[in-house]
Amino acid sequence: MPPDGPPRRVDARVKLIAAVGFVVAVVVAPPGSWRYLAGLGIALAAVVVASKTPPIKLLARWLAFAPALGFLAVLTAGRVAESSALPWRIAALDLVARNSLAFVAMMTMAHATPWTDLLAAMRRLGMPAALASTLAFMYRYLFVLRDELGRMTTARRARTFGRGPGFGSLASLIGALLGRALDREERVFAAMTARGWDGTLRTLDD
Amino acid sequence: MATDPSPAPAVRLAGLTYDYPDGRRALDGVDLAIAAGESAALVGPNGAGKSTLLLHLNGLLPGRRGIGRRPAPSVWIDGLDASREGAAVRRKVGLLFQDPDDQLFSTTVLEDVAFGPLNLGMAKGEARRLAMECLDRVGLAEAADRPPHHLSFGERKRVCLAGVLACEPSVLVLDEPTANLDPRGRRRFIELIRSLTATKLIATHDLEMVLEVCPRTVLLDAGKVVADGPSRAILDDAVLMEAHGLERPLSLLIGR
Repeated sequence: MPPDGPPRRVDARVKLIAAVGFVVAVVVAPPGSWRYLAGLGIALAAVVVASKTPPIKLLARWLAFAPALGFLAVLTAGRVAESSALPWRIAALDLVARNSLAFVAMMTMAHATPWTDLLAAMRRLGMPAALASTLAFMYRYLFVLRDELGRMTTARRARTFGRGPGFGSLASLIGALLGRALDREERVFAAMTARGWDGTLRTLDD
Repeated sequence: MATDPSPAPAVRLAGLTYDYPDGRRALDGVDLAIAAGESAALVGPNGAGKSTLLLHLNGLLPGRRGIGRRPAPSVWIDGLDASREGAAVRRKVGLLFQDPDDQLFSTTVLEDVAFGPLNLGMAKGEARRLAMECLDRVGLAEAADRPPHHLSFGERKRVCLAGVLACEPSVLVLDEPTANLDPRGRRRFIELIRSLTATKLIATHDLEMVLEVCPRTVLLDAGKVVADGPSRAILDDAVLMEAHGLERPLSLLIGR
């Protein structure tokens, strides 16, 4: 459950726009604007505290994101260094700092906003209906598929007697999951049609 | 337009035949008529064609005989040809699927229950009110704003029923309504089903429930109606039951 700090009660649209605005603010500063970035960092920390988001959770997410971030920094630091006359290592650090700020800002926003509110906000801010409903479906069936994968993995482990999974069995597991997902898609489609769906997704809120 | 001579039964099947896409015969000339207000059980072994038959009642599957041939009308709901008037038929028939995860796709419970009414052209305010009312009927009004995946299996099943009831169907078609429910959830669901006045057709292996809910039983095997009559007489016929992969319900065995 998302925490119940003040940011939880703010309209989801405001939070979404503020988070995107924050990311833009982080991106537009010229390389090496340390004070500016530090200021943004302090502001972000204040929001994190106010939203009662557990910092350890943010750290865990950031660590999961860190390898991709490092890779990105190494790839692009050369170009940044060239155009800004900063040493290569400083340019890489600058990239890491910016991306981390943007990432943590988005994570905090996502954590302080229930998914349904966030989705409704995106819809109201003019996100195409097809994209919004695709996201809604994805979120809904992610859990169903995760459970299904969990059951399949358990069933396989029950019959492999402690031997690790080979690539072959992993591939067949993924294949089987895909097959099941497609079967489910057909049944979901039938169930929607049964309740009068005609291709337009109508929702209660907008 | 093919119409049925009046008075039209709520459900009428005449020579319904259907082949799976791979060519196997699923339904083989099924004739069946269910009067308005009647409650009938559809029993039979796995693979007998029960679920396939149910999908036909909603115009979700076309009756087809082989490839390329135009399907002959074989399903009527209140006299309406299901193969030609699918949309109108789906307004009349409420279909409850076996797996609630197939039916619950919305982000919140309330949103899902309101899905049918919104599709039927109801205004948002009214759809919301009706959805709340249906949730209240199944005892889940307090779960309205929760995401479906946070609910238990039994609760999800009841939300599905609320979603079907919100379409205000005159014919209720239920596919294994009590499967996988714990005894309390099953009891609750049975009482709910009993409280509904619509015409009911229930596909199930729960023969004890059949004895409670359905005065009439239709036994289907290998795509054919093998027996059709009073539930007690059919379910108590040990030879018939065993010949078709079923067994006499315990309550009849011990002579309740």
